[in-house]
Amino acid sequence: MNKKIIIGAVVALIVIIIGGALLMGGTTTERGPGEIVVAAYSHGGEPEAGFDPIAGWNYYAEPLIQSTLLKMNTNGTYSNDLATDYDISDDYKTYTVKIRDDVKFTDGSDLTAEDVAFTFNAAKESGASLDLSALDKAEATDDNTVKFNLNKSDSTFLDKMAYIGIVPSDSYNNETYGENPIGSGPYKFVQWDKGQQVILEKNPDYYGKMPEIEKITILFAQNEAAFNLAKNGEADIVAVPLEYGKETIDGYTMYLQDTIDVRGVSLPSVPDTGEVSEEDNYTIGNNVTSDIAVRKALNYGINRTALAEGALNGLGVPSYDGIAHQLPWANPEAAIEDGDVAYANKTLEEAGWVDSDGDGIREKNGTKASFKIYYSASAPERQALAVGVSEQAKQFGIDVEAVGAEWDEIYPNQYSQGVLWGYGSTDPSDMYGEYYSSSDFNPARVNNSAVDSHMDAAFSESREDSYKDWSAVVWDGTTGTSPKGDANWLWLGEIKYGYFVNERVDISNDTALLQPHGGDLFSNIYDWTMTNSTA
Amino acid sequence: MDKSVNKTNKFDILGSMNLRTKTLLAIGLSVFILVLVVIISFFIDPSSITTDWSVMNKPPSLEHLFGTDWMGRDMFTRTLKGLGLSVQIGFFASVLSSIIAVALAFLSSFNKYLDSFVSWLIDVFLSIPHLLLIVLISIALGGGAFGVLVGVAFTHWTSLARVLRAEIKRIKTSEFVTISEELGKSKFWIARKQILPLVFSQVIVGTILIFPHAIMHEASVTFLGFGLSPHEPAIGIILSESMKYLATGNWWLALFPGLSLLILVLLFDIAGENIKKMLDPASAND
Repeated sequence: MNKKIIIGAVVALIVIIIGGALLMGGTTTERGPGEIVVAAYSHGGEPEAGFDPIAGWNYYAEPLIQSTLLKMNTNGTYSNDLATDYDISDDYKTYTVKIRDDVKFTDGSDLTAEDVAFTFNAAKESGASLDLSALDKAEATDDNTVKFNLNKSDSTFLDKMAYIGIVPSDSYNNETYGENPIGSGPYKFVQWDKGQQVILEKNPDYYGKMPEIEKITILFAQNEAAFNLAKNGEADIVAVPLEYGKETIDGYTMYLQDTIDVRGVSLPSVPDTGEVSEEDNYTIGNNVTSDIAVRKALNYGINRTALAEGALNGLGVPSYDGIAHQLPWANPEAAIEDGDVAYANKTLEEAGWVDSDGDGIREKNGTKASFKIYYSASAPERQALAVGVSEQAKQFGIDVEAVGAEWDEIYPNQYSQGVLWGYGSTDPSDMYGEYYSSSDFNPARVNNSAVDSHMDAAFSESREDSYKDWSAVVWDGTTGTSPKGDANWLWLGEIKYGYFVNERVDISNDTALLQPHGGDLFSNIYDWTMTNSTA
Repeated sequence: MDKSVNKTNKFDILGSMNLRTKTLLAIGLSVFILVLVVIISFFIDPSSITTDWSVMNKPPSLEHLFGTDWMGRDMFTRTLKGLGLSVQIGFFASVLSSIIAVALAFLSSFNKYLDSFVSWLIDVFLSIPHLLLIVLISIALGGGAFGVLVGVAFTHWTSLARVLRAEIKRIKTSEFVTISEELGKSKFWIARKQILPLVFSQVIVGTILIFPHAIMHEASVTFLGFGLSPHEPAIGIILSESMKYLATGNWWLALFPGLSLLILVLLFDIAGENIKKMLDPASAND
C-alpha cells in the first residue's frame, strides 16, 4: 500500500539521480565539416521576443543575423561596418552617418538609410533594448545618409550605433519579425525550436569578411546542462559557471575570457519614509543602509579578495567601484584597503550602532542592523557572493539575509533592499542608469550633485575626453559613489566567462573583444577556424 | 565456542520477546531516532553551516561524514538541518491536517447537506494533483517555509477525512447512539462522548501516517525550487543542487542526503504501522 509507494518513490529518485549521471554518456550528435554546436550564445538565456534587435535581441553584442553601423575593435575604439563615414557635430547633438550602398538583406531587398532610421526610431519607441532616450529622431536625408538628431548632448551615442542590428523597414512587423528575422549580418536565420535551439547558416551575400564556420546551432542549455553537453561531446563550445572553471574535459580546452562584467550590491541610500516608486508602487528606501556608516562599514569590512578566491572560485578580481579595470575610464584611485573589520566596527560604533542585547547584531534606536540581499536564484556565482557577504558581515555585527529569488520577485524590492546586480558595458553611459539622480533605475537612489555634473560634462565631450569625467563619477578626490565617497553600492568583483571549447574549433581567443555583461562570444566569429572538420 | 553461545543467546533475547514487546521496541527505537534528529537539528545554529572555500567539493571523510559541497559547507550538518526542517513541517502539516479532517468529518455527520458539502470538498481536493495545489498555495502565501507548511497541511487531510466520515456514519447507526438520541442527548454530546473515543485511535494513526507523505511533498516542492532560497538547507534543495554536480563526479552530494531522507520516511512508516497494531490489535493479523 502507501508504504510501497513511498519507498518506491524515494528509491526511484535516488536511482534516477545516480543513474542519470552515469547514463548520460550517450551517443554524440554528428556534425559535418564547418558545422558547430554552441551552448553559449549569451548568459541571459533564450530571447523571449525572438531575434528582433528592436525587442532586445543581443543589443549589447554581435547580433549575427543583423549588422550594425559600427563595430568595436579589440582596443575599444570603433571602426566602420555598415557605415562608411560619420560626422559628429561639436555639441554632440547631431550625428550624420554615410552608409554602404552595396548591402542587401537576406530577402534580397537593399539596405538603405531608411532602414537605419526606421530601426533606431522603432528601438527608441519600444525601449526594450538600449536607452535611446537621448535620441529625438533619426531621419534618412538620402539613400545613403542618415541623420540622428538628439535632444541633448550625448557623446555616448557613438556606442549606440555599434549596438543595434538594422532591420528592413519595408517588411518589418513587430509581431512576426522575432520568429523569422531578416538581416544583413554574417549569418542568416534558418530555424528556431523554441525552448531548445536556433540554427543559423552562413549568409552567402554578406558584404564583410566571410566567416569560415558554415552553420551554427545555438542550444539554450545553461549551467550544468551545458556542462553535460560538453562532457558528452554534444556541443563544441559551452559556457559554464565559474564553479566549473577548474574542471577538465577530454578533447576540450577551458578558455577563461576576461570580462568587464562586475557584480555588486546596490545599497538603498535613502531612509524609508513611506515613499513608493511612481509606476510600480515599489517601496523606496531602507532605514539601515541609508546610514552612510553602515554602507562604509560594509565596503571597508568585506574582504573582496577572499570572495574572489572563494565565491568566484579563484577566477575573479576584486572590484571596488563597479568599473572593470580594463576599461579606459577605470579609476584606480577608488580602490581601498578592504577586509578591515576593525575599521568597520569603529565606524559603526561611532555612528551609534551598538549590540545592546548581546545577539551579535548591532542596533541603533531600536532598529536592528539588518537588511536583505536579493540574488538571482539561477546564478550560482551570485548565490555564492551573497552568502559570502552575509557571513562576513556577521563579523562586524550586521545581519545580511541572503534571499534567492526570481527577477519578478526581486524587482519590487530593488529600491528598499540590497540587490546583487551584474553590470559591465563598453558604453560608459551605463553609469547614468546606475547613479544619475533622476534616472529611472538608480536602485541605490544615489543623489549627489557632483556625480550628476560629472556625467553631464562627460556627455558633451568627445569619447576620449570623457573618460576622466566618467571615472570622476566614482571618485573625484572629494566625493563620488565609490567606498571613499558615499559608498552607495557594495561592488564585489569582476568575473570571468568560462568556455569549454572543443579542439576542432579555434575561437581565436586573441582577437576576442572584452566580454560585456551578458557575454559576446561571437564578437570575433569572423576569425574562427575549424581545425578538425568532423566530430 | 563462546561466540556461538553468545549468538544464540542474542537470538534468544529477540526470539523470547512476544509480538507486543517487539512492537513496542520498534516504536521506541524509531521514535527515539526521529526525536534525536529533530533535537539535534534544532540545536544547529544556521550560521554554523558556513562556507569554507578551502574545502570545496571534498568527498566524505571523518571530518566531513557526508563530504562538502561547492561552497565548502559540511553536508552532514546541512542534511541534519534539512531533515529537521522536514520533520517540523511534517509535524505541523500532519497535526493541522488531522484537525481539519476531524472537524470536517464531524461536520458531515450533522446533516445530509453538510455531508454532501464535505464529500464534495474532499473530491475537489483529491481531483487536483497534490503537488500542484501545494505549489499554488505556497506561492499565494508569499513562499518561504511558512507557505510550504500551510500548502502541505491543506492538501493532506482528504484521505483521513474520508475514512473518518465513513467510520462516523457506521457508528451513528449503532444502537447506543440511537438510544442516546431517543434519550434526548444533544448531537454535540454524542459526538464528544460516544463517537470521538471510538475514532480516536484512527485519528492518531492517521496523523502519523500523514507524516511521511508530508515530508516527501515538502522535499518535492523544495526540490522544484519553490518556497526557499537555493542556499538554505532543505532536503529537496540539497538534492536538486546535488544533481548539478553529479556530472563532475560528486556522488556524495546526492547519495547520503537521499538515503537519510529514505530512512527518515521509513522510520515514520514503521512507527505508524506499529502504533496502529498497538491501538487496534485486530489489525495485527492483517
